[in-house]
Amino acid sequence: MSAPTSTLDAFYGKKVLIITNDGRTLVGSFQGYDQTINVVLTDSSERVYSSHQGIQTVPLGAYMVRGDNIAIVGEVNEEEDAQLDFDAIKAEPLRHIVH
Amino acid sequence: MLPLSLLRGAINHPVLVELKNGETYNGQLMNVDNWMNLNLKDVICTSKDGEKFWKMGECYIRGSSIKYMRVPDEVAEIVKADMARNKSRPDKRPGSYNNNRGGGGGRGGLFRGRGGGPGGPGRGGGKSFRGGGYGSGGDRGGHGDFNGQASRE
Repeated sequence: MSAPTSTLDAFYGKKVLIITNDGRTLVGSFQGYDQTINVVLTDSSERVYSSHQGIQTVPLGAYMVRGDNIAIVGEVNEEEDAQLDFDAIKAEPLRHIVH
Repeated sequence: MLPLSLLRGAINHPVLVELKNGETYNGQLMNVDNWMNLNLKDVICTSKDGEKFWKMGECYIRGSSIKYMRVPDEVAEIVKADMARNKSRPDKRPGSYNNNRGGGGGRGGLFRGRGGGPGGPGRGGGKSFRGGGYGSGGDRGGHGDFNGQASRE
């Protein structure tokens, strides 16, 4: 685990998870960002949560998420992530941010 | 890879744009500016609930209203490859950093124009007004001094 920083430089080339302001969860390979935290992901997918079935993964490909719409960017621990049984994880979808 | 580099690389490719109001726009990207304002053509707009569709020839989208954009995978690959190539050799594009600004290049440098050299065509010819035809030099490195001396004599 690296020390926390105030930039996203540590994420280059890593698998990251983004939670957007509308409550979506995007996972993809972090390719870059700019001063307004617009982020580029490749090989991305959305993880759709629901309370009555497991997590659905929707492949999306190359994605540019505008910084305005990003709440959280976090690095994914790929080993632990691979252990997850998506079919068994049921959860209410996140709600969008309320201003 | 900068987000705007990706989008510039996506010009003339199909893209999907979702706006903050939930509408999505599918179309061919015609132009992007530094604020991420977009021009699309051959557009299909889909309402937030996904039930209504509108077709339009062209549209302009203000960058600040965008939530996210999806671009074809091959665009990301091309832009990535271009970046790797530009990194490995000195940047020769005009207006970029590290482009031999100032010193030497600006006023003709080594090959500063002299109107075609001794006895060259056009030297001393009264009608020549731009440095005397062939070999006016000065076209290497920045905006050379095209006005060779022949015409001023």
